[in-house]
Amino acid sequence: MLKMHDVSKIYRTDLIETHALRNFSLEVGAGQFVAVSGPSGSGKTTFLNVAGLLETFDTGTYELDGKDVSRLSDDARSRIRNEKIGFIFQSFNLIPDLDIYDNVDVPLRYRRMKGPERHQRISRALELVGLASRMKHMPSQLSGGQQQRAAIARAIAGDPALILADEPTGNLDSLMARQVMDLLEKINDMGTTVVLVTHDPELARRAQRNIHIVDGLVIDSPPYERRSSSEPINLGA
Amino acid sequence: MIGYYCRLALKSLRRTPGLTALMVCAIALGIGTCIVTLTVYHAMSGNPIWWKNNVLYAVTMDSWDPLHPFDSDHPQLPPPQLAYKDATYLMQSSIPKRKAVMTKLLGMLTGAPGQTLPLRVWTRATSGDFFSMFDVPFEYGGGWSSAADQGPQPVIVLSKEVNDKLFGGADSVGRTVLWDGHQFRVVGVMNAWHPLPLFYDLIDGAFNAPEDAFVPFGWVRALQQLPSGNMSFWGPSRIVTFQDLLASGAVWTEMWVELPDAASRQRFQAYMDAYWAAQRRVGRFQRPLNNHLTRVSRWLKINGVVSSDSRILVRIAFAFLAVCLINTIGILLTKFLRGAPITGVRRALGASRNQVFLQHIVEVAVVSLAGALIGLALGAAGLGAVRALYTGDASYSLLAHFDPVGVVWALALAALSTLAAGLYPAWAVGRLPPAVYLKTR
Amino acid sequence: MQLNVRPVLSALARNRTGAILVALEIAIALAVMVNATWMVAQRLHDIRQPTGIDQRDIFEFAVAGFSTQFDYGSSQREDLAYLRSLPGVIAATATSAIPLTAFGQGDGIRRRPSELSHQFWVRSMQIDAEGLKTLGVHIVAGRNFTATEVQPFSPHFSHLASEVLVTQSFARKLFPHGNALGKSIYGSTDKPMTIIGITSNFFGSVIDTPSYDGLLYPQEPGGYGDYICLVRTQPGKAAALMRTAERHLATANPNRVIFDAHVLEYYKGQLDAQNRNMVIFLSTVTALILAVTCLGIFGLTAFNVSTRTKQIGTMRAVGARRRDVVSYFLTENAFVLFAGILLGCILALGVGSWLSSAYALPRLDPMYLALGMVILAAIGQLAAWHPARRAAAVPPSVATQTV
Repeated sequence: MLKMHDVSKIYRTDLIETHALRNFSLEVGAGQFVAVSGPSGSGKTTFLNVAGLLETFDTGTYELDGKDVSRLSDDARSRIRNEKIGFIFQSFNLIPDLDIYDNVDVPLRYRRMKGPERHQRISRALELVGLASRMKHMPSQLSGGQQQRAAIARAIAGDPALILADEPTGNLDSLMARQVMDLLEKINDMGTTVVLVTHDPELARRAQRNIHIVDGLVIDSPPYERRSSSEPINLGA
Repeated sequence: MIGYYCRLALKSLRRTPGLTALMVCAIALGIGTCIVTLTVYHAMSGNPIWWKNNVLYAVTMDSWDPLHPFDSDHPQLPPPQLAYKDATYLMQSSIPKRKAVMTKLLGMLTGAPGQTLPLRVWTRATSGDFFSMFDVPFEYGGGWSSAADQGPQPVIVLSKEVNDKLFGGADSVGRTVLWDGHQFRVVGVMNAWHPLPLFYDLIDGAFNAPEDAFVPFGWVRALQQLPSGNMSFWGPSRIVTFQDLLASGAVWTEMWVELPDAASRQRFQAYMDAYWAAQRRVGRFQRPLNNHLTRVSRWLKINGVVSSDSRILVRIAFAFLAVCLINTIGILLTKFLRGAPITGVRRALGASRNQVFLQHIVEVAVVSLAGALIGLALGAAGLGAVRALYTGDASYSLLAHFDPVGVVWALALAALSTLAAGLYPAWAVGRLPPAVYLKTR
Repeated sequence: MQLNVRPVLSALARNRTGAILVALEIAIALAVMVNATWMVAQRLHDIRQPTGIDQRDIFEFAVAGFSTQFDYGSSQREDLAYLRSLPGVIAATATSAIPLTAFGQGDGIRRRPSELSHQFWVRSMQIDAEGLKTLGVHIVAGRNFTATEVQPFSPHFSHLASEVLVTQSFARKLFPHGNALGKSIYGSTDKPMTIIGITSNFFGSVIDTPSYDGLLYPQEPGGYGDYICLVRTQPGKAAALMRTAERHLATANPNRVIFDAHVLEYYKGQLDAQNRNMVIFLSTVTALILAVTCLGIFGLTAFNVSTRTKQIGTMRAVGARRRDVVSYFLTENAFVLFAGILLGCILALGVGSWLSSAYALPRLDPMYLALGMVILAAIGQLAAWHPARRAAAVPPSVATQTV
């Protein structure tokens, strides 16, 4: 599903160069549930931005869903984000002006889908996350957990192959956090690959596979697994 | 998709009502100001007979004082009028398709049925070709024949306004009126005709209304009518009697010719120049050869019809519009950058740069449309104010009218200028790296 | 906190586009404001220029006969006798021009009959011995016409008089180094005319711009097919007496019409209309341009404040007082203002020199530019004041808040 080989990303300012990712290699199989952890500043976020095609990188190759996406135009990357990737953010990032229904609608609009199909997908996604009755609410009228579930509905409405979740429970209390994790597992069970970035070992433990990033390198892949993995674990070179 | 963007634009504009109002007001003020100045300028600089611009020519000859140019500010220009004897000579030419000599008289109209008070009317003594040459519209009847010019026959053409006053708007063709005590037969009643500027005689005010009565030019001599328009003469004139005036070098007549092609224009120019050379031999025309056939558009220009004030005002209005637009660019940039986190989310969800650009440019378009419409209303109000300012001066009340073409232009100006102002902010917001804004709120 | 310029500059560099836009706005605003104010000052000067006549208490009307046989001489003598008999009328005269209007004549005057290349153009009027009293113009040197010097009406339009009056302004133009009184001048004929008196300056009939150059002939008018009656009344009585006279004279003689009756103040209004309208328009646009520019400055500062809440909180946390925060933002604004005003200064001078060369306007007075710069700087800082105060209200605790 996701195959990065020797990816490097350097941030440059006038004075310093920061190597956010160094010869970073990682392979995630289709249908896997992977947790990525690491200390602050380790390169987690850069990894997520590169994996989500939000940022380009300097060297190396990246294959997503069997397609080389290393050197694509901005438009092509937008299209892949739209069709293959679903994002879930720590701060939900719902659009405050739009109600829940319209928020879920956003990626479908950019896919130029026809009205009836959009409606069907939105309803299905909201039902899955248990917010069908709240579709006309504004984000500010919902609790944090509900907002994050709405964001999950938005991420899955377009049937992406890959879900990228960045500390999805970071702003939630433990009960809501558990609900969100249950939801992510449910989505994973339906066949969608999930990559979860977290610094919380409790959450990481619920993933099939754990990846640790330190200083822009994959250094560790703890073997404890909730369920059996069919994919080999590839360590960074 | 455009519908979707419109919905987003309205939501976004409603979220910041203050900024939206500020932008719309700034654009509206800028546009409104431009509309006012441009309308006045446009009316001033318009060519009221543009469709005949290439065939109508004002005839001028430099018969002025050998020691001084007629206009010391524009020494290259001959006097705008001709001496009676020169005009009558040039009128004998058969080269022009149509030709008219003219001057302005002041007459008293009496003798209409039921009329108690005499009506003082500005009168143009001219040739029968005047009406066909200038495409004058008629409500009843028409102009007069060249036979009437030769007589001269006592025929008169009335303006619609005077016909309304004297005959209640009825068909008065064939009726008789007294012009300065002499019987004249009405042969035509003009339809409303207000060429702006009054191209055929700009001297007494380029924005005056046309005269109210028209009689054959021969009556000037026959009735010994002193012209009431402009008359200029130079040097020791020794004009004592009316015959002296006719024989003098005083300039007080205008002459227009219709020359359908370059060949006839060259022939008529040669005709004028030959006359000039012959007269020079007997001591007249001591200034350098300076005979001109001038097109209407150039005629309006060299006679300074557009006041420098109105030129300055147009430029100031555009400077103001520029400030308003720069202001709008600033506000749009501010607003769009403030919305960058949300744009980042949209980018993450798969919006391309083009889609982000389109979404924002639609928002700009909504603002510009609102600004343009309000600006149009402000412009109309402003023109109303201009009209009020110039009461007593008939010219401006006629000038400051809103024509549909002007409205279309104003809207186009508004829409285009604001869209141009919105291009950069809409483009800039699409260029922002999406990832930066996703992490924090 | 010592005010440090460096952080201000680096903050400005970050919102470069916004700052550049506002500076540009300020520049154009300054250029327009300064030149518009300069033009307004010129126009106001023109409007306030004294006419030299008593236009509020003078009315006029024109008289024209129906036929070429009309006797203009006896008609005007009858009219004047009637007008002078009206209670409230101070003086009346018959003339050939309406002061303050384009209705009138001009002559080319020479100092010697042979001096063909040296003509002085001047607006002229025909009046009688009561003419000066009617206009409210006084004799500065020499004497007024006597009744016997006034030439009777003649249907020709050359001047028969051998005595003339000139205004002070025209006397100086004709004879810059000597006394004009008693000198002979020549008009359209070679017959000499003696300057018997010099009058105070006044506006006669006007072409384009009013001029104090004037020439008066003792002559009964009418040669051009009409004459003007000018009537001076006691203060405030002009309009009422005009209506009375108009009513009486319209019926007194059926062979003529009375028209264009107005108090001269009306023509003064017409004469000033263009200047007045220019003043109104220029002041309005200047006010609007200032308002829009202030809003631009306000918006920029407000944006800078709103995007830097955290930075302000940190400043406050490390000990900046409220007034330090205010002065921080005002300093930032001052830089933008300074750049804008500097650019505007160049622009204003450019526009000024273009205006003076293209439209023959007087050159921009640097005082106006200096004043405009100070005013714009003050208003610009005032516009940034409110958002800067809001910045100062940010509590220091913001610094420690995450997200």
